[in-house]
Amino acid sequence: MFFLKIYDYSSLVIDTLCDEPAGEDNVVACFYFDSAAQKEQSAMSVLGALLKQVVSSLEKIPKEVTDAFRRHKKFIGGRELQLSEIVKMLGSLSSTQPTFLCLDALDEYAEPDRAKVLLSLRDIIKISPTIRVFLTGRPYVGDEVEKHFIEGTALLSISPPNDDIIRYIQTKLAEGTGLGEMDIKLEAEIVKKIPETSSEM
Amino acid sequence: MILPYSTNSFNMYNSHDSAATDNRSEVLTWLSPLEPHLRHNEVPTTRVKDVGDWLLRTEEFRSWKNGDGQGESQKATMFCPGNLGVGKTYIR
Repeated sequence: MFFLKIYDYSSLVIDTLCDEPAGEDNVVACFYFDSAAQKEQSAMSVLGALLKQVVSSLEKIPKEVTDAFRRHKKFIGGRELQLSEIVKMLGSLSSTQPTFLCLDALDEYAEPDRAKVLLSLRDIIKISPTIRVFLTGRPYVGDEVEKHFIEGTALLSISPPNDDIIRYIQTKLAEGTGLGEMDIKLEAEIVKKIPETSSEM
Repeated sequence: MILPYSTNSFNMYNSHDSAATDNRSEVLTWLSPLEPHLRHNEVPTTRVKDVGDWLLRTEEFRSWKNGDGQGESQKATMFCPGNLGVGKTYIR
């Protein structure tokens, strides 16, 4: 019936970072993990996709990227970038402007690629300490995140306050999504009951 | 705060001359065939105005974003654990 999803929060954070008036130079790259698309989401293509977004936000493609492109093109059929090359480029390109990498739903991403991505992010932070990495996922992934980010990770649990849940429900009810005619009393009852139920989850 | 629900926040392909554009898109595709910004543009349709703003107002989020935390609180990474579903119902 109602859906309040963790990626709504990721997308909110991403839009906020993009639209910050004080942060016109912010470069924001995102990735939404999806367990159904695991096959096409190798660690290399995930990091490559982040690099691609960083590069495309720049007016001109940096020389180190075009040089690598030419170098790899010489191989028959072309050759993909190596993970270590992507890490190095992301690190060096992120040092020149505020850069945010946002990865949503880590738990939707299976091992061993998840560890590879986390280790790569750690290496990127080492090269560019000003980079900011935003991650979401089910709580059990937390230990792994902590393990890989030795310099520490800021933790912020997503547990929406009841106000949020009520506002969400009211908006959805007003839109009439999926419910058809709704008796006002019943609406009040739902708004009252649902936060009580959700806090027990 | 006004939230953009369907604006394209990623100004991806704004090259000027066509030769450079060809090369540019070739290089970008080579970097990765994936297009995660497309997913981003689809996602906001399920969002509701003002929901989630509490997160943006927290001290943790602000100091992570601005990188102005003191000593121990200066952290490059923020992890938000949550049990809200991705494709799963949160409110049943």
